[in-house]
Amino acid sequence: MRIDPPVRIRFILLAALAALFLGSLFVWSGVYSVAASRGHFAVTEWLLTFGMRNSVKTHALGIDAPPLDNSDLVTLGAAHFQSGCAYCHGAPGIPISPIAQAMLPPPPDLATNMPPWRDRELFWIIKHGIKYTAMPAWPVQQRDDEVWALVAFLRRLPSLDAAQYRDLALGGLRVPPQSGESLATSETTARAIGACARCHGAGGARPASSLVPVLHGQRAEFIVASLEAFTSAQRASGIMQPVARALTGDDFRRVADYYAALQAPHAPEEPTDTSAIERGRDLAEQGDPDARIPACAGCHGEDALKTYPRLAGQNLPYMLNRLRLWKRGLAPGTATETIMAPIARELSERQIEDVAAYYASGGPSAGASR
Amino acid sequence: MNEPVPALLAGHPNKLPRPKGELEALQAAWELPKSWRIVTSVNNTVVGYFYVAAAVLFFLLAGILALLMRLQLAVPSNTFLSPETYNQIFTMHGTVMMFLFAVPVVEAMGILLLPQMLGARDLPFPRLGAFAFWAYFVGGIIFFGTLFYDLAPSGGWFMYPPLTGAQYSPGLGADFWLLGIGFIEISAIAGAIELIVGVLRTRAPGMTLDRMPIFAWTMLVFAGMIVFAFPAVILATLLLELERAFGWPFFVPQKGGDALLWQHLFWFFGHPEVYIIFLPAAGMVSMIVPTMSRTPLVGYRLIVVALIATGFFSFGLWVHHMFATGIPALSLNLFSAASMAVALPSGIQVFAWIATIAAGRLQLTTASLFVLGFLFVFTLGGLTGVMVAMVPFDWQAHDTYFVVAHFHYVLVGGMLFPMFGAFYYWAPAFSRRVLSERFGKAAFSLMFIGFNVAFFPMHITGLMGMPRRVYTYPAVAEWSVLNMISTIGAFLFASGVLVFLFDLVRNLRPTVSDPIGDVWKGASLEWLHNHIYGPRSIPLVTSRDPLWDQPGLSEESKEGRHYLPGTVTGQRETIITSPIEAMPQALQRLPGDGWPPLLAAVFTAGFFMLLTVKYVTLAFVSGVLALAMILIWMWGSDQRPLPHAEIGHGIKVPTYVGGPLSHSWWAMVVLMLVAGSLYLSLVFSYLFLWTVSPQVWPKPEQMPPSLWPFVSAVLLTASSGLIVLAGRALPVRSRNRIAFVAAIGLAVLSLCGSLGVEVLSHWRAGFRPDVDAHGALVYMASFLQLQFVLTLVVMAGFAIARCLAGMLSRRRRVVFGNLALLWHYTVAQGLFGLLLVHGFPRVA
Amino acid sequence: MNGILQSVLAPHGPQAGQIATLAWALFAFGSLVLGLVIAAIWLAMRGAPRIREVLARERTIILLGLALPVAALTILLACGAWLTRAQTGHADEALRIEVTGQQWWWRVVYDGPAPIVSSNEIRIPVGQPVDFTLKAADVIHSFWVPSLGGKIDMIPGRTTRLRLTAERAGVYRGQCAEYCGGPHALMSFKLIAMPRHEYDAWLERLAGPQSAPSTDNEQRGQLLFLAAGCGTCHAVRGTDAAGKIGPDLTHFASRGSVGIDTLPLTAENLDRFIRDGQHIKPGNRMPEFRIFSSAEQTALVSYLMSLQ
Repeated sequence: MRIDPPVRIRFILLAALAALFLGSLFVWSGVYSVAASRGHFAVTEWLLTFGMRNSVKTHALGIDAPPLDNSDLVTLGAAHFQSGCAYCHGAPGIPISPIAQAMLPPPPDLATNMPPWRDRELFWIIKHGIKYTAMPAWPVQQRDDEVWALVAFLRRLPSLDAAQYRDLALGGLRVPPQSGESLATSETTARAIGACARCHGAGGARPASSLVPVLHGQRAEFIVASLEAFTSAQRASGIMQPVARALTGDDFRRVADYYAALQAPHAPEEPTDTSAIERGRDLAEQGDPDARIPACAGCHGEDALKTYPRLAGQNLPYMLNRLRLWKRGLAPGTATETIMAPIARELSERQIEDVAAYYASGGPSAGASR
Repeated sequence: MNEPVPALLAGHPNKLPRPKGELEALQAAWELPKSWRIVTSVNNTVVGYFYVAAAVLFFLLAGILALLMRLQLAVPSNTFLSPETYNQIFTMHGTVMMFLFAVPVVEAMGILLLPQMLGARDLPFPRLGAFAFWAYFVGGIIFFGTLFYDLAPSGGWFMYPPLTGAQYSPGLGADFWLLGIGFIEISAIAGAIELIVGVLRTRAPGMTLDRMPIFAWTMLVFAGMIVFAFPAVILATLLLELERAFGWPFFVPQKGGDALLWQHLFWFFGHPEVYIIFLPAAGMVSMIVPTMSRTPLVGYRLIVVALIATGFFSFGLWVHHMFATGIPALSLNLFSAASMAVALPSGIQVFAWIATIAAGRLQLTTASLFVLGFLFVFTLGGLTGVMVAMVPFDWQAHDTYFVVAHFHYVLVGGMLFPMFGAFYYWAPAFSRRVLSERFGKAAFSLMFIGFNVAFFPMHITGLMGMPRRVYTYPAVAEWSVLNMISTIGAFLFASGVLVFLFDLVRNLRPTVSDPIGDVWKGASLEWLHNHIYGPRSIPLVTSRDPLWDQPGLSEESKEGRHYLPGTVTGQRETIITSPIEAMPQALQRLPGDGWPPLLAAVFTAGFFMLLTVKYVTLAFVSGVLALAMILIWMWGSDQRPLPHAEIGHGIKVPTYVGGPLSHSWWAMVVLMLVAGSLYLSLVFSYLFLWTVSPQVWPKPEQMPPSLWPFVSAVLLTASSGLIVLAGRALPVRSRNRIAFVAAIGLAVLSLCGSLGVEVLSHWRAGFRPDVDAHGALVYMASFLQLQFVLTLVVMAGFAIARCLAGMLSRRRRVVFGNLALLWHYTVAQGLFGLLLVHGFPRVA
Repeated sequence: MNGILQSVLAPHGPQAGQIATLAWALFAFGSLVLGLVIAAIWLAMRGAPRIREVLARERTIILLGLALPVAALTILLACGAWLTRAQTGHADEALRIEVTGQQWWWRVVYDGPAPIVSSNEIRIPVGQPVDFTLKAADVIHSFWVPSLGGKIDMIPGRTTRLRLTAERAGVYRGQCAEYCGGPHALMSFKLIAMPRHEYDAWLERLAGPQSAPSTDNEQRGQLLFLAAGCGTCHAVRGTDAAGKIGPDLTHFASRGSVGIDTLPLTAENLDRFIRDGQHIKPGNRMPEFRIFSSAEQTALVSYLMSLQ
């Protein structure tokens, strides 16, 4: 039963050509329905799910998860989950929108039914999204730190009830009951401020997560410039870009003026390493000329340009995160980042910790009182 | 001098006819693996083909980089390449040309040509040769690939710190250079060991040192120079990598290091490197010129003396790369003199070739043309070399295009042209067709003219003030014109190389069984009727030019009328001869083909590269796999002793020898020389940094108490003693193994103990490797010692396993012999280290 | 050379002159030897049998390949040693200037009762020997003014010295000759030799205080200069700007270039360098400042251009 090889090869070639032709004919004819209402065959469904799961698992193999049991991360993740994810995936006390439920495949209800992914796999899904589903990629691919915040929150999510979720995601903000008329006839003007305050705090309240910067007392020019940079996607953040886009140009100024006028809230008492603060003070005031690091105070002091941020009393984890992002190579997008990023890259890890501790402890003002 | 050794002549040549089936058995033993499994072949011819091909590939790649640079520099203020890209490209061009082309291609030609030229069936360590090739090839490809991922180094091929330190070169580029090149150098050393033992121990009977072809002499000097030069740069790369990774401050002046230490170590390698590349090429010329002139080489002994002198002098002039570093005038003049002295042996060689041409009639073949081109270009390069050896002139010319022109004249002239001549000359020995003379002459003309058009103007560009390693230059009229001319010349040169490639594709038909053979009527043994196993029978050599002076030799050898006309044991074999007189001493059984050398190389490369990208776990998995492959391969060596074998003419030789008679003893001795050079480089670094920064050295009262080094020394000596005892306790038969195993075990313990005590003593004294240069050097000494200790632990385990398996006995003792040699060396090195590290600060 | 003097073969000082003479002698020597070798090859191939027979002797090899070179090289070596000594000798009356190489600019300090700091442009009096004290702040650089003499490396942790004398007034271009990464190709400077009296007047002015900004625009520029943090890297004597990381900008406008000899100094080029420095000199250590409005930018530039 010997087959002559050339015949076999020719047969296979012809069959392949025929299959290609028939396939093209099928696609061209439009007989296949792409309707989301129809669903997949069970076997197709199984195959797609199987392929997706394994793809995620394989691609996530090389990722090392940082420690996620951190309330700053969870709080930041919660706030973003509320504005970016809950519409499709639901949340405790918030049902999935029927519109989202009609997608193919329907998004899983994460509040009740969290699929058993590993941390790194969740990270991969959130960062890259999933093809042929409605799951989008993270808008900014350079901000892994933000993605991890969301992963940290998702780990906490199954244990939350509606009230706890509200506290986490809305930062304890209360939306006053509105009259029927105002609900019916006007847009809510409190929306913008409310959206900021969920993360950044307002009035005398500090940000709920210390990974979020304190805006109280910053120059309005700086806040406006930052919002513009988020809107134009020059400044990299998957969390802030959508929030800023939701505001209009007039809102920028008003929000900025509001925060600029606020008194800096009292910093929480934390154990401080005074020697680190002293080293940080030296660096902030003198710089480190041998390592080509200029004095921070030159640009972050009281007399500096209003488009530069003030750092006194800023959150420690926020500053650490931001400096480390640059050091690891986050590409500068804005005009001010272009100035700061190369400086941050020259800082050693020790210097980052010192100078952040110094400014977190109150910077020059704290030094005067000490 | 042409008197054959009487003992060898008896009963020579053999009577005809040869027994039936003898030739078939020989062919069966040497049969090649089929189809793609050819990559598992360890035969020198096959590996040699791969090796040459890979080296030519890297030549072309680095050549393309050169063309990119010339495009960028064709006009002033060009933006064709970004500065960062240009810096990566010029770094890679230099590095690839030096480490991935020049040295490997010479080594490749050695592996390909030497056995045939010496009348050996193969080199003595075929698997080591295969390992060296694969390690080089895999490592080289990965290293070159970094260019495509923007991970290529950009610190120049000379990698001067502090520019290449962690602060000024963050990122992986410099690490790829350090680990990649360090690794490729290890492969070069493996090849060098193979070549030294090959030249000294596998020559055809009767081929005394005085009758050896000059090419073999040059390969011997070449390999010897690698043994002494490469360890210096391996140490330098180790130091810099440790500084980058863990902050051991060898080159940081604030902590007692010194940037010039790198330059000393690098150029102690880097200058001999030039002669390492040049000598074998000169050896090729010494083979081509007599054949093409149809007359014996004039001044054979003068040339041999010149070669050895070059090798010797070349180690004494590394400082001439550092004339502009502000070193004292006395050393300037000393090294200036040495730099000029090294020109003398080259002068002798040049006039010896001229004399040979004068004595005969030079046929103007392509090979001859390349030789003539070489004479012109190399002489000019040598003369500019004399110029830059003049210190004041060098202050102006150093780091300018004048130097670029100078060393391209030396390297392209001194190495590339002879190499192309060699391709044309030796192609018939390996191909079913000759290369085309017409294309060859066209290629030569384009290359010769293109080269001079490209590089001669650079002398002027440099003196007009243009520094090298610049990615752009201002629109100064003279610079613009000269650079444009150079770019045009470079492309002309490249077109010559293209013609050569075209010729290769059209006419090169590599073969291992039926090359077209002796078309030039050459005098040396590679022109016998050669197969994969070399000649059918290994001829008795009685002259320097055997094929000219021994009529009928070729036919006699082909008919099997000389030595070893078949296979005695049914395995692959070659004759081991004495190093000077080439008297047959033993029959060496050679290993067959197999996967372990290839896989060991792949995993070793994997270990280094994964370590570079900081996948530590995977790196160690890869390292363990590499070790496993090496152990599998070692398990198959040291085969069972067999009765004496008759290799023809009634001469009987042993099939198993130990001690200085065995080839592995020689290899181990060469390895110890490598290790010794490495350690001496460290001693140099220690003393050098002390002269620069004595303030970071501890005062005698800060040193660890003398009891510590004393205990360490006692443990070291004891371990050596235990090894001697173990040698006595080697079982005669397969019983009684406990004493041996116990002795080895105790020796391992005390060796490890001594190192532990040594490290602990420094730690307790408060020395830390990342605090100052003294601390870094002290731990570095222990780090080097640790590498030997680890090797010995593995070898000891191996010896115990062999013993338990009944494969190690008083008679079959080569495995133990090697272990003992390296052991005593390590102990000696350790004792010396103790003396230096604990003694020096007390007396200084 | 388009007004730029940067050639070994056009010496303008005794040190460079000696080396140029040596260079020409070496070229003559080299041509002679090359001619000899070519002639020998030609004779070996085509010469009369008698000549070829002589050439083919071992004794000829020793004569031409060993004896002759030994004699020639010994003479060269003696010349070299003499010249090395002549070039490294030091006298006391020399002027002293300290130059520190940094990625990728030159810090210049004129020695005196009160050292005067400047950068990127060196001025010396004609006819007087100048001893340069050379240092490096980060990686190895090399100080080289081809028209005046040889080069010496600047090595971190070490101090090297070089003596140069300019015999004629002029602008000599110098360049870093040791590869120092990034825009090494653009690390050049101008050395200006001027008559003694002009030099003294210039030095006196350099040592003097920086005049205060006069116009409104310049004053606004100065405020911006300070508020934008320029002073954390740059110094302008007499103001709060006292940074040591970048070049000292006191009397900046009296220098000829912007971006360390990359562009000629004009308001337009200065403006470009502030906003777009990474394109003009890729990799340089100054971040691009694009934060200013065009009015602010003009004010800043006019302030800097007023630093005469």
